[in-house]
Amino acid sequence: MENNETHSSSTTEQVEEFHSLDPRAISLWRTTYLVSFGIFILVMLAVAVSLGIAVPAARIWMATGWMALTAFCLWFSFWFPARYYRTWRWRIDAKVLEIRSGRLVERARLIPLNRLQHVDLERGLFERMYGLSSLIIHTAGTHAASTRIPGLEADEAARLRDHLVEIGGDDAV
Amino acid sequence: MPFEDLTPPQALEKLGQGIKVFEGRLHPLTLIVSFLKYGRALIPALALVLFGNRWAGAPLLFFALIGLAATAIKYFSFSYRIENNELITQEGVIEKRQRHIPLERIQEISIEQGVLHRLLGVVDAKIETGSGGGAEASLSVLSRAEADKLRQMVFAHAAAIRAEKTAPEDAVTNEASVVEPETVVIRRLSVRDLALAGLTSNHLLSALALAGAIWNFADDLLPDAIYAKTIRLISQEAKHWANQGIEWAIAVTVGGILAVALIGIVFSVVGSIALFYGFTFSRRGDDLQRRYGLLTRRSSSLPRRRIQVLEIEEKALRRLFGWATLRADTSGRGREDSDDNKGRDVLLPIVPVRDVDELLPVIFLDVSFAETDWRRVSSRAVLRETVETAVVCLVIAAALFFWSGSWWALLPLVLVPLAYWLFGFSYRQIGYNLGDAYLRTRRGWLGRSTHIVPINKIQTVEVRQSPFDRWWGMATLTVDTAGQAFTGGGPQVSNLPIAEARELAARLARRAAVTEYKW
Repeated sequence: MENNETHSSSTTEQVEEFHSLDPRAISLWRTTYLVSFGIFILVMLAVAVSLGIAVPAARIWMATGWMALTAFCLWFSFWFPARYYRTWRWRIDAKVLEIRSGRLVERARLIPLNRLQHVDLERGLFERMYGLSSLIIHTAGTHAASTRIPGLEADEAARLRDHLVEIGGDDAV
Repeated sequence: MPFEDLTPPQALEKLGQGIKVFEGRLHPLTLIVSFLKYGRALIPALALVLFGNRWAGAPLLFFALIGLAATAIKYFSFSYRIENNELITQEGVIEKRQRHIPLERIQEISIEQGVLHRLLGVVDAKIETGSGGGAEASLSVLSRAEADKLRQMVFAHAAAIRAEKTAPEDAVTNEASVVEPETVVIRRLSVRDLALAGLTSNHLLSALALAGAIWNFADDLLPDAIYAKTIRLISQEAKHWANQGIEWAIAVTVGGILAVALIGIVFSVVGSIALFYGFTFSRRGDDLQRRYGLLTRRSSSLPRRRIQVLEIEEKALRRLFGWATLRADTSGRGREDSDDNKGRDVLLPIVPVRDVDELLPVIFLDVSFAETDWRRVSSRAVLRETVETAVVCLVIAAALFFWSGSWWALLPLVLVPLAYWLFGFSYRQIGYNLGDAYLRTRRGWLGRSTHIVPINKIQTVEVRQSPFDRWWGMATLTVDTAGQAFTGGGPQVSNLPIAEARELAARLARRAAVTEYKW
């Protein structure tokens, strides 16, 4: 949250300004990547070991291959979340919620607030560990029927949810 | 239609609060139609029991009989009514199942009449709401008159409810003033139009489908010996022709391709005529109605307020002749596989492009477009598309060259100037137009599609920038609406300068935010 405060004090008169996600999102994503890659690496280890037993000549290749893979996964889970975090920003004013994200393909999605159908708050296992929540915003659309803002500080997410429900609720069916 | 009172106690309770305006039951011919349907399953089962394996036949017979009993029970227990601003269907004997459908939520009542139905003079009515996933309730079968009456009642009352919501004090007068509106025929399609629609549709695919179907059919039907003999004969003949020399082989191949194409053309023309025969597009009050079909007659009515997006589709071949197809999406209707061959995906299968402008006010009430104020996309769009085409052509040519070593491999490069000309030509006709109440977008280099979306139907707006877009400083703007099933991905503008895309998106979202969305 400190991050947001400093960010907002620099531009005071602007009504709508972009918020970043909570910086703890980076640690959250690192953990998530490490765990899921970890499982993958263990499976690959089992494959490499069994192949190494079956074909003794290929042992050295199996070992280097597995180590390279592990190194890449470690590097990626450390490097990517920080880069990805920087692409996320959102802002809200009286009429529109705008969410920007994406590294390779950059997306800016604008949701008129009176089109909200319902708003979900989600807290996964790791998110709870870091005190974070995801907000999922549903409209009656098709391709972009639901939009997710991950890595919000739990209290802030709840406040945003209440705010959205309050102002967007009148039009929902 | 005589009606015995079968309403259960809890429904009678509700009756005190609301107005019961209409009630009905299935037509007695339901029994005949369903018997005939299940009868087809009964015949092989009976045959199996009598002449074949008794143990295999008995369960089949059992299921067929259960089916028959179920339809009989359904017929005797099924009733529906309009009450308390809801359409209520009820069925079941031991456990009564009721379904309440709020009248306002009913998107469309479509009526279908197969050959058997036509012989008996009855119809199936399907009630669709915004919930997606097919019909909410299916009334099978009703008499023609009753289905029409149901449709009128539903939409008249839905209109009355809306009037009541907007101006409660006028509710009574509105209720009284809901008289039957006249049906105005807007367009009829002749057999010639439909033949043209068939001619300009996708021939080869349907030809292949036909060939596949015949092949399957032959596989099933012909005894194996004859089948194998035919195959042997064909392969012998093929070898024989191949021995005659290369000219023969080419002639036979070309002849074969021509024959397949010809079959395809005949097939798609006949298919188009059979599906859309007697197509009538008309308006009755606020409903757009379509009626069509040679063997199976179909009709559906679509309240025009429900239209989320309209697409004017000009596929490459049709665009050459100046013909277009109109498609429309209503909210919450997902696409089903069977929609295409039932013609549900089109509002008007074929119409000259020059007539579209005069049709638009029928579909969108308050539409007023000046043809001049289209805004074009980035002026570098033509260059960008040409460069990207050139890169693809170069890669293909290089690959071919290294593979074959022949200079002919460079032939794909001829496409580049051709593409440049095409992009330059089409560029002037694509772009967008933001009016008071509507957004129009137009895209496509070879074929073209124009989308019209009322601003109050916009759900979200998205600006997307791929790495290539970033290189050119451009972006793609997409508008999401409810129920984009038939209009090919909805409104979209590519190659917009990024600043313009962001500004347009913000304007659209803001404008949408001050309008009220109604289903």
